[in-house]
Amino acid sequence: MSAESKRPLEQQITLLELVDRVLNKGVVLTGDIMLSVADVDLVYVGLRVLLASVGTLEELQAEAAER
Amino acid sequence: MIYLYAIAEELAELPPVAGVAGAALERRAVDGLELVVSELDGAALEPTEETLLAHARVVDELVPRAGALLPARFGRGFGDEGALVDAVRGRAEALREALRLVRGRVELGVRVVAEGAEPAPEADSGRAYMEARLAQTAERERLAEEVHRPLERLARASTRTVAATPRLVVSGAYLLELDDVEAFRTRVAELQARHPDLAVACTGPWPAYSFAPGDDE
Repeated sequence: MSAESKRPLEQQITLLELVDRVLNKGVVLTGDIMLSVADVDLVYVGLRVLLASVGTLEELQAEAAER
Repeated sequence: MIYLYAIAEELAELPPVAGVAGAALERRAVDGLELVVSELDGAALEPTEETLLAHARVVDELVPRAGALLPARFGRGFGDEGALVDAVRGRAEALREALRLVRGRVELGVRVVAEGAEPAPEADSGRAYMEARLAQTAERERLAEEVHRPLERLARASTRTVAATPRLVVSGAYLLELDDVEAFRTRVAELQARHPDLAVACTGPWPAYSFAPGDDE
């Protein structure tokens, strides 16, 4: 993999890591009310929203379609 | 509705940023734990770019202002003050233990991605196909261990998952002493050099999202 093709991938990974943390990690307390349905699929929904701004939307969609 | 961002110890002052939906940040103290919250109208919060980043920004800004901090998961609210206090008291021991663990440490993320999705194996029988798939899975697990082991040794705590998507090989979170961050990055670079066919990406430092008590305990 060339350094050129790798930069957007790392950007993608940073966003994936951020969304994964905010939606799927962090403290959960018993008795809280879930204000959004935050399951694994939503990581990709959120990611698509985020990635739309960095121009890698198509690739992500293609990847999601393969699943 | 009260929306929770983080639970901290020794919180100096609130950061000058707004919370989700532009709400002002507030703080509550419960048995020596500092909670950072905001009021939220309604009972729904969509995970949009704006709301996710607002949550993440508040947590990011709180980290340097606290002695120790656990980020809350996105999208969790409490009906009223009493419900929040009860929820924190019910989890107080696990929260204090996690705060001790993350104090003075940072989380780094490592994601190892293979260049393309692995092709489905070609096989002329169902059994041969299954065997080929199992071999692929075993190979991924072996690769995951090869990457994770040397990184784990530098960390105070770590988590990892394997192959959550067609391309991902392994995703790990590592809780590090500040002094070990440089050595950790060097080790990641060594792993990258050893595996030119993979992309080994190191992200962070992050707030300790991966080491906060979740809903699985």
